[in-house]
Amino acid sequence: MTENPATIVVVEDDRQIRRFVRSTLEAEGCKVFEAETGRQGLVETATRKADLVVLDLGLPDIDGVDFIRDVRGWSDVPIIVLSARSTEGDKVTALDAGADDYLSKPFGVAELVARLRALLRRHARGGEGTAVTAFGDVSVDLSRRMVLRNGQPVHLTALEYRLLSVLVGNAGKVLTHRHLLREVWGPSFVESSHYVRIYVARLRQKLEADPTQPRHFLTETGVGYRFQA
Amino acid sequence: MKDDRNSAAGTGRSRAGPYAWAVLACLGTAAAATPLSGYLDLANIVMLFLLAVLLVALYAGRGPAVLASVLSVTLFDFLFVPPRFSLAVGDVQYVVTLGVMLAVALITAQLTAGLGRQALLASRQERETRSLYELARDLAGAVSTDQVAAITERFVFDAFGMHALLLLPGADGVLAAAGGDPGRLAYLEERLAIHAYQHGEAIGVNALADTGQAVAYIPLKAPMRIRGILALAWPDGRVVGVKPVEALLSTIASLVAIVVERLHYVDVANQTQMQMASERLRSSVLSALSHDIRTPLTALVGLADSLAVMRGGALPDDAPDTAAAIREQAVRLNGMVTNLLDMARLQAGKVRPRKEWQVLEEVAGAAVKLLGRALAGHRVTIGLPKDLPLIEFDAVLVERVFCNLLENAAKYSPPGSAIAITASVNRGLVQICVTDEGRGFPEGRQEELFGVFIRGEQESSAPGAGLGLAICRSIVEAHGGTIRAENRAGGGAQVTFTLPAGSPPEIEEEPETAPWEDSA
Repeated sequence: MTENPATIVVVEDDRQIRRFVRSTLEAEGCKVFEAETGRQGLVETATRKADLVVLDLGLPDIDGVDFIRDVRGWSDVPIIVLSARSTEGDKVTALDAGADDYLSKPFGVAELVARLRALLRRHARGGEGTAVTAFGDVSVDLSRRMVLRNGQPVHLTALEYRLLSVLVGNAGKVLTHRHLLREVWGPSFVESSHYVRIYVARLRQKLEADPTQPRHFLTETGVGYRFQA
Repeated sequence: MKDDRNSAAGTGRSRAGPYAWAVLACLGTAAAATPLSGYLDLANIVMLFLLAVLLVALYAGRGPAVLASVLSVTLFDFLFVPPRFSLAVGDVQYVVTLGVMLAVALITAQLTAGLGRQALLASRQERETRSLYELARDLAGAVSTDQVAAITERFVFDAFGMHALLLLPGADGVLAAAGGDPGRLAYLEERLAIHAYQHGEAIGVNALADTGQAVAYIPLKAPMRIRGILALAWPDGRVVGVKPVEALLSTIASLVAIVVERLHYVDVANQTQMQMASERLRSSVLSALSHDIRTPLTALVGLADSLAVMRGGALPDDAPDTAAAIREQAVRLNGMVTNLLDMARLQAGKVRPRKEWQVLEEVAGAAVKLLGRALAGHRVTIGLPKDLPLIEFDAVLVERVFCNLLENAAKYSPPGSAIAITASVNRGLVQICVTDEGRGFPEGRQEELFGVFIRGEQESSAPGAGLGLAICRSIVEAHGGTIRAENRAGGGAQVTFTLPAGSPPEIEEEPETAPWEDSA
């Protein structure tokens, strides 16, 4: 990352939050541009050829979701949304509009850096996951459609496998219930979120060491799921 | 209704008067006709008498007219029919004359009197219609039930000389006098008013005359429901029926009912509008507050955090520790603010659970993960039955319940001890328990602890504002469940909350999935 510094635009109206986000990102070797308003943020994102945007959902001038839709009209730059807890609905709307991830305020440096790295890495690879992903005692080979646990093949149903491949293929990224339903079950199922819950529970049964306290198939309550290797 | 009033009016003056006029009219006609008998044909004299009968019928009514008919025939026979001054009839053809004359006189009397009565009735009805129209117009302008009561009272008194009182149900559903002075209705019998109100039938004075309750109770039937009672009484408390004016009274009652209903809905609309305005205000204050408090806290946590991870020798050795402590305090402060704001939202009734069919294990697991370090010193186990059905609840809110209960358990039990989440289904309810191995709740105060700002130990070293359990209770109750705290026999605290089991949606299984493959 240091040889080719990533350009990051921070759109946030509070100066102190901008300041610490900036110092954190600069410590990671990124080039940071700040924007105080949404309009300014759109201009910065376009002119600086941003590699990533950190966006506060509560901007004074334009709605954060409109910002995301606007950017998605001309760029697939990763967007991390900053939002207060207890506003899960807003996060889902932002993610469904095209945001890639979110952080609940208040958040720490470590969380910010982890999200940032995961998204930059994914984006650098062009959004493609690697063929083989290993986590815990499980390895998933998407090219050969093979799932092994302790070297033994695990039998998955067609839907379980499809769900697993979507989650693993978007490792580190939060996927909303609606997104997963559309990808795995098809558009007519988007209102039946209990399907996702039941199938994630089945994946945990088959692939997690302790299904009650999962370490890889993580729940983002009220929002969706995140796979973490 | 006319009969009564007419006879009543008749009693006032001399009853004999009209009859005297009838007699006078006949005698006058006879006197006037006598000098003319030489010039006029008898048939024309008959006409003069018939004219007299007609006039008597017109002005004095039917009785005097009949008298006048008989008298006219007698006088005509006596004075004019030969042989004169005798009731005997010389020629047989005069018998026909007299017979026809009597018949014509009587029919004239009958018809004319009937006509007069109809005219009187018509003018009465016109008066009633006009007065009802005026009542309707006055009521249409009324903006309060007090005004309606006053208008009705005045109208009934003017029209019937009776006292009227409107009885309307209050917010508690109990009938109470609107606007008027209940003392005026000395004979008001509450029991009867309630009966009329509940059954929607008028209780008339006739039915009550025996009991000496000279009051009528007419229900105010509006399109939607019965809006109250119109009670009536004579000012002097006398027992006289209102039967003759019953139809008019029930018309008045329905006019009043419609106006009362209209006022009711105006009231409802106003209240809704006010409620909406105050809710909007409250919600915007809450979200502004939430944003304004969270923004500096976010900066505080982030800045302290970046100070803590800062490398290099520019800072004193203990600076990272100080920074970490600042961060921890800021995070704790944020937790308290979140609790306060959530409590405010829950108490304002603003939070409506967004219920979806959930896997309980997942939400419990998410809560454990969210608390992270706070639970690190404890062994947390989630032991749910394998066949636990899907449960319909708001995952974000129930996660809060788990977080608060787990946080309490960790706070009030020694490090290294176990915290367990268990569940069971029992008679349509899912029962969920969070148990710990701490010192339990102060005996006898378990219920109290669910109150706002109530803490188990007033000066406890453990941080908190006493909101955790209150929030849990609000959330659980919003889902139609209950929550209780108790001490376990073997030591330790146990909080149990219930959620309705409901009927979970069917899951379409994949066709190729054989049952044994699920447990693979």
